[in-house]
Amino acid sequence: MDSSSPSRSSRIAPVVALAAAVALTLAGCSSSSGGKKSEESADGASAGKASTPQMTVALVTHQSPGDTFWDIVRKGAEAAAAKDNVKLVYSADPNAGNQANLIQNAIDQKVDGIAVTLAKPDALKDVIAKAKTAKIPVVGLNSGVSEWKNLGLMEFFGQDETVAGEALGNRLNSEGAKKAVCVIQEQGNIGLTQRCAGVKNTFSGTTETLYVNGTDMPSVKSTITAKLSQDKAIDYVVTLGAPFALTAVQSKADASSKAKIATFDLNKDLTSAIDQGTIEFAVDQQPYLQGYLAIDSLWLYKNNGNYMGGGEQPVLTGPAFVDKTNVDAVASFAAKGTR
Amino acid sequence: MTTDGTGTHGAILTDTVPEGGDSPLVELRNAGKSYGNIRALHGVDLVVRPGQVTCVLGDNGAGKSTLIKIVSGLHQHTEGEFLVDGRPVRFSTPREALDQGIATVYQDLATVPLMPVWRNFFLGSELTKGPWPVRRLDIDTMKRTADDELRNMGIVLDDLEQPIGTLSGGQRQCVAIARAVHFGARVLILDEPTAALGVKQSGVVLKYIAAARDRGLGVIFITHNPHHAYMVGDHFSVLRLGTMELSASRDQVSLEELTNHMAGGTELAALKHELAQVRGVDVDELPEEKDLTAPVANPAPGPATDPVAGPGEKTP
Amino acid sequence: MSMTHHAEPAVTTPPAPGRKESDGRTKQRPLALRLLARPEVGVFLGAVAVYVFFLIAAPPVRDGSSMANILYQSSTIGIMALPVALLMIGGEFDLSAGVAVITSALTASMLSYQLTMNVWVGVVVALLVSLGIGFLNGWMVVRTGLPSFLITLGTFLILQGVNLAVTKLITTNVATDDISDMDGFGQAKKIFASSFDVGGVQVKITIVYWLVFAALATWVLLRTKYGNWVFAVGGNKESARAVGVPVTFTKISLFMLVGFGAWFVGMHQLFTFNTVQSGEGVGQELIYISAAVIGGCLLTGGAGSAIGPVFGAFMFGMVQQGIVYAGWNPDWFKAFLGVMLLGAVLINLWVQRTATRR
Repeated sequence: MDSSSPSRSSRIAPVVALAAAVALTLAGCSSSSGGKKSEESADGASAGKASTPQMTVALVTHQSPGDTFWDIVRKGAEAAAAKDNVKLVYSADPNAGNQANLIQNAIDQKVDGIAVTLAKPDALKDVIAKAKTAKIPVVGLNSGVSEWKNLGLMEFFGQDETVAGEALGNRLNSEGAKKAVCVIQEQGNIGLTQRCAGVKNTFSGTTETLYVNGTDMPSVKSTITAKLSQDKAIDYVVTLGAPFALTAVQSKADASSKAKIATFDLNKDLTSAIDQGTIEFAVDQQPYLQGYLAIDSLWLYKNNGNYMGGGEQPVLTGPAFVDKTNVDAVASFAAKGTR
Repeated sequence: MTTDGTGTHGAILTDTVPEGGDSPLVELRNAGKSYGNIRALHGVDLVVRPGQVTCVLGDNGAGKSTLIKIVSGLHQHTEGEFLVDGRPVRFSTPREALDQGIATVYQDLATVPLMPVWRNFFLGSELTKGPWPVRRLDIDTMKRTADDELRNMGIVLDDLEQPIGTLSGGQRQCVAIARAVHFGARVLILDEPTAALGVKQSGVVLKYIAAARDRGLGVIFITHNPHHAYMVGDHFSVLRLGTMELSASRDQVSLEELTNHMAGGTELAALKHELAQVRGVDVDELPEEKDLTAPVANPAPGPATDPVAGPGEKTP
Repeated sequence: MSMTHHAEPAVTTPPAPGRKESDGRTKQRPLALRLLARPEVGVFLGAVAVYVFFLIAAPPVRDGSSMANILYQSSTIGIMALPVALLMIGGEFDLSAGVAVITSALTASMLSYQLTMNVWVGVVVALLVSLGIGFLNGWMVVRTGLPSFLITLGTFLILQGVNLAVTKLITTNVATDDISDMDGFGQAKKIFASSFDVGGVQVKITIVYWLVFAALATWVLLRTKYGNWVFAVGGNKESARAVGVPVTFTKISLFMLVGFGAWFVGMHQLFTFNTVQSGEGVGQELIYISAAVIGGCLLTGGAGSAIGPVFGAFMFGMVQQGIVYAGWNPDWFKAFLGVMLLGAVLINLWVQRTATRR
C-alpha cells in the first residue's frame, strides 16, 4: 500500500506495459482444442429474396433481456424479414404496460403489420383495438393461445403452454416416473406456471414445484441440490429452460441423486447433453418457427391475402420432443442458435 | 501585565513574551487571494514566531477562512508573498504544508467520530512494523504514544479504544491539538476551536493552546471572540472586509480596543443608538456583550455590520 | 487480540492516579457486554439462531453434504459481499457488482473462445477488465463527487446492456459457447471451481476462498494502514483528507477490490458451468449489499467488519436452502426468506440494544 496515491501517468504506464505484454504472449497461448476455430462454419439457410415492395413490420414481445429463447424467436423473424423484403422493427419489454406503449409506438410509426406476444392479454386489449382502427393487421405469437381470437388478432403461432406441459406429463408417465419436481426460474411468470400446471394435470405421479433465482446460477445449482437431497424419492427433474437443465445435471451429481432430467426448450449445449444421455429429452416449441411464421404471415396477407390457420385455428409450433432418437437431426441447427 | 484576566490559567501561562527573539516561522507579506473577480483577501501581513500565539480575529466573512486555507495549503495565494522560514512557498496540498510542519486543526472536521481515539490520533501517519507483505500497524506503540502525548497535554482518557465521537467537543479539539504537536508541528493553525463550545470547554481548549505555545510552537488562533483571544494571544490581527484592520501586539492594545475593533467602531455606534431606541437596553454596558448581540439584533438593515456575506465578499 | 490490548491499561495503571480524573461518564462495561454490542457478534447470534432453527425444522440439514451445499451457496454470495462490505465501510456503494460478475465471465469466455486461446489468456484479460471497471467507477465517483449510488447505477445499466449486446454481436447468441474442451480449462477449473473430499463430503473450494478472503480482509481492516484509511474515508472524508489520508487512492482501490471480487466469482461461474448466460447477475448486487448490511456494516459508511458479512452471507444461504430442505410450500418461498431475514436482523438489533443499555 503506497502512502500516497500515485499520479495518473505512473498508473497508466504499467497498464499499457501489461497490455503490450499480453498482446505479445497471445501468440503463444492459443488453444489446441475447442474454440472458434473448431466450430464448423455452417452457412445459414439463405433463400432468395422476394421482389415485393418493402414493408415494415413491428415485432413486440415481452422478452426480458438476455433470454436465449427470445433470441431464437428473433432470429426466425429476421430470417423471414430478410427473405420477404421486410423491414423488421424489434422491441420488447417484460412489463405489460411498457409493451403496450411499444405497440402504440409501432402504430404511430404507421407500420404495415404488427406481431405481438400476449403474455398479459388484458393489458394489451386497448392498444390492439387501436391498431385495428388504424387498419394495421396484427398477429399473435408465443403466448396467448386462448386469448388471441377474443382480442381480434388475425392469426396465432405458438404452443399452448398447458398442452406442452401435459404432453411432457404424459411422456413422464410412459417413462415410468413416480415423483417429479418442476423448477420455475421466475416466480409469477404465467407461461412457466402453466407449463408446470400442465405437467401436473397429466402426470400420474406426484409433481412438486421448486422456485429458483434464475439470475444467479450458483444459487440455482444449490437450490436444486438441496431439493434433491431433501427428497430422495424424486426421480425426474423438469426444468423450464435449457440452461437450467444443464445446471440441474451438476446438482444431480452433487446430491448423488438418481433422478433423470427433462426440460422445456433447447439450445446447443443441451442437444449434446441429450446426445450424451445426461438429459433425457427436451420439449421444443420451435421458437424460430414462431418468429418466422409471424412475419411471413403478415407478408403473405399483404401480398396474397392469405390467412394461416384459416383465421380460425391457431398454428401450433409445438410441443416437439427432442430425445436421443432424433437429436442428431436437430443438433446442427441448435448449434447455430436457430433451433 | 494584562494577563490577570485569564485567572485560572495562570499556572500554565508563564508570561514570557519572547518578542522579536526568534525569526518568524511563517510570514505573509501583503498577501491576498482572488476567486475569479472576487477579491476575498488582500494586503494581509502576518507573522508567526515560535512560542507565540498570533490571534486572527474577524466577523463572519471577514476573510479568516481564506487566510487559513492559504497557510494550510488548501488554496494558493494570488497576491503578495507567503514565506516559511524566510523562503517563499506555494503549497498545492495540505500534505505539503504538513511536511513543512504547518498543521491545521479545523473546527468541525478534525476527527473521524466513529474511529477509536488512538486511531484518530495516528490517522494519516500510522506507525507500522514488519516487511511489506505483512507490514502491519504497530498498535501497542501507537496506543502508548497516544496516551503519553495526551497526558503531556494534560488529557487523561480511560479507554483509547472508545470512538472519538463519544468525547466532548473540547476533548476532541484537544486530541487534535495533541496530535498536531506530536507530529512535529511547528505552526499550529486553530480554526475557531472555541466557537461551538461552552464556557468550561472553551477554557480547557485555551489551556491547551497555552500548553502548545509553551512547547515552543507558533500558534495561529482564529476566532471571533476577543475575550478568548486576549486570554492567550501575543499578537492580534483583526480582519475586516478581506483586509487587515488592526495588527498589534499585546502591549499595544487593550481588550476594550480589541473588542471595539472586532465589532467595527462606527457601525457599532449606530447599532448602539438603534438598540437604545428600540428597547431599554443599557447601552453603556453594551461593548462587553456586543459580540453576541450584534448579529442577532441586526435583522434587515444592511449598513450596520457586514452580515454573513458568504465565503468571499465583494471588495471592488 | 485487540480486546486484550485495550483491556490492559485499565488494569495495570494503579501508579497513574491521574487516570481516575475522567468525568465518570465513560466507565468501562464488562467485556461480555462490550462484545455483544459489536454488530458482528449480533449477526453471529442471528446466524446461529437460523441454523439451529433449521436443524430442528429440516432434518436433511443435519447431513454433512447438505451443510456443504449451504456453505457453497453462502460462499458465492460471501466472496462478493466482502469487497462490497469494505467499499460500504469506505462510504460508497457499487450497484454494478452483480452484473460485473457476468461481465468478467463473459469476457474470459468469449475472448478465449473467439480467438481460440488458452483459457488463461481470457482469465487474465477478464481480471484487467474487471479492475478497469472498478477503477472507472471509483474515478468517476471521486472526480464528480456525485453519490456512488448514481454513478454505479449508470455503470450497472451500461454493463447490463453491454453484456447482452456484445455477447449477441460476437456469438450471435445470448449465451457464450462451451469452453470446457479448451486448453487450460481443467487447470483453471481446479483453481476456481473444484471440490475436495472431507470425510466423504464433497466440499467446494469456494468455501475455502471465502473464509481465507474474510480472514485476510479482517487483518487488512484492523491491522494495516490501509484498513485505517478505509474506516477514515467512510467515517469522515474531509477529516481524513485534512490529516493526509490519500482519499482518492483509497476510494478507487476499494472499487477495484469489488472488481477483483467480481472477477473471482465470475471465473468460478464460468469454470463451473462452462458457459455464461449474458442476462444473469441482475439483482445480485442487492443481495451482496444486504449481506454486508445484515453483517453490521453501516449503510452510511465508517463502521463495519469483514467477519460480519461472512455471517450475513451464511444467513442468506442458510435461509434460502433451509426452506427447500424443510420442504415448505415453495409459493411462499420469498415471503419466508423475508421473514427469516427480518427476524435475524431483529435478533441482532435486540442483542445490541441489550448490550449497550448495560
